[in-house]
Amino acid sequence: MNDREIVVEDLVKTYSGKVTAVKGVSFKVDAGKIFGFLGPNGAGKSTTIKILTTLALPTSGWGRVGGFDIVSQATDVRRVAGVALQDIGIDPLMKSMELLVLQGRLFGANKSEATTRASELLELVQLSDAADRRVGTYSGGMRRRLDLALALVHQPKVLFLDEPTTGLDPVSRRDVWREVRRLNREMGITIFLTTQYLEEADELADTVAIIVDGKIATEGTPANLKSALGEESINLVFETPEIAEKGRLSLEQVGDRIQLDRDTVRLYLSKAAGSIPMVINQLQQVGVSPISLTLTQPTLDDVFLQVTGQRLVASETAKPKSPRSNRRAEVN
Amino acid sequence: MDTQINTLSVEQPRKTSTLSLPVHIYLLVVRSLTTLLRTPEALLPPLAISIFFLVIYQSTLGKASSFIPGIGGSYLGFILPLSIVSGSLSVSGIAAQNLVRDIERGYFDKLLLTPVRRAALLLAPILAGAVILGIQSTIVVSVGLLLGLKPTTGFLGLLVVIGLGVLLGLGFAGFTVSAALGSGSAAATQGASFLFFPLTFLAPTFVPLALLSGWLAVAAKLNPITYVLEAMRSLLNTGWDAQAIGTSILACLLLAVAMYALAAFALSVRTRRS
Repeated sequence: MNDREIVVEDLVKTYSGKVTAVKGVSFKVDAGKIFGFLGPNGAGKSTTIKILTTLALPTSGWGRVGGFDIVSQATDVRRVAGVALQDIGIDPLMKSMELLVLQGRLFGANKSEATTRASELLELVQLSDAADRRVGTYSGGMRRRLDLALALVHQPKVLFLDEPTTGLDPVSRRDVWREVRRLNREMGITIFLTTQYLEEADELADTVAIIVDGKIATEGTPANLKSALGEESINLVFETPEIAEKGRLSLEQVGDRIQLDRDTVRLYLSKAAGSIPMVINQLQQVGVSPISLTLTQPTLDDVFLQVTGQRLVASETAKPKSPRSNRRAEVN
Repeated sequence: MDTQINTLSVEQPRKTSTLSLPVHIYLLVVRSLTTLLRTPEALLPPLAISIFFLVIYQSTLGKASSFIPGIGGSYLGFILPLSIVSGSLSVSGIAAQNLVRDIERGYFDKLLLTPVRRAALLLAPILAGAVILGIQSTIVVSVGLLLGLKPTTGFLGLLVVIGLGVLLGLGFAGFTVSAALGSGSAAATQGASFLFFPLTFLAPTFVPLALLSGWLAVAAKLNPITYVLEAMRSLLNTGWDAQAIGTSILACLLLAVAMYALAAFALSVRTRRS
């Protein structure tokens, strides 16, 4: 089944002899899995996907997509890989039916085959009603779904999706997720997905890799990463930052780690729930009491923060489980 | 959403055959024409300007033309070729703008990820431009006939005039398309299209070649437009002139070959993986 795998070994990409965007990336995506590739802007995500989809050459290292070498067998890679890149556009003057038929014919189908396939794909992504409208009149969600359909025209075994839901409203986002999951489960397509939404990776990916500054900082299943790197925490909000500081001092010896952010104290410790009585007790001894107390389970967001030292900017729809401003927080 | 995706038809795509280049060119020409016809706002002004100048030149200079020796027939037959040549220039600009639009919007990259033959990416916008140019030249010639043009060589001669216009346009388009591929920018492509504009005046544009002198005569002799104008004028005003037609075709082909070498180079740079 290596015709559905992605293997990358020590990939390096240096631009014009100066900027090194990717500094020795290695990973393997098993057949039929969904791989989530996360990282802050400029970490090397786009460069990696461009190399894997044959739009760019690596400076050194090698990679195989569906069993084909990304450098010497680019044509074969293009036949097994479907690609929906974030910055790859669709012509707004064309209609979706026309675009799908053209794409199919360029991949070698005759007119009737390409037309049948196009209708099926339009049905699949729920665009049949808009087949005869110019793409320029489509909403953002419709365009993403069309782009997904275009990537599927030649029945790829491996699918590359570069930020497939960036800029979509939550409903359209869920539509795309459902599609991606179906393609993976029902057709066994291996999916390489970059995303800015940790929630998305958590929802879809079997394996997640976080790339920081051109290198893979950590890799694993979302569950493993969360339990290894994320920590539970008790979050205490006080009336004023001064009271919060007093509370922080009293709790310093209690947890593994403590953070103060204005009026909020965050105490990281394992078995957080069981420690609540002790925490309250400590606070009472110095005569302060919180106005709210919440428990936070680890999220991929926490893992990301730990690994990269920053939050993903675009996670405005991620559930606000963890507090927002962490700039001043110590990370390790 | 109850479609059964695992029952989608169409077996695995076949390997690209050697026949694919003409097929790919055909598919992409149809696609280019589709988008061109959906932007009439880009197509109509050049046509209107060609007709406008034809009418203006004819009305303002037509009467005075008896003072210019060597026109050898009607002034309309002398000036109509200029309208067609300027049309060739503007349509080559439109073809290149169409390509640059694809590059800017990323559709060009999307095509690069298919097994499309690279030569088709270059030839399709040019040939689509040629189709538009053929239509536009036919309209300009028809307006000429309405204004009273009586071509010496008849209907067949008019077809050759239109054919020469298209052939010249193919060479211009080779240049503008190179600019589009090389720069990937609409503004730069627009600028490149204007580079050819002065060429229409470094030619026997308003007076016969024999009346030009000095550096202008030298420039005109090096200018392929000169030979196209001369051949068209002979067809409209004096009669079949095998030598004039042969020379103009040769001039167009030389221009086209040079521009294609340039365009092929620009394409290889644009599509080179780096």
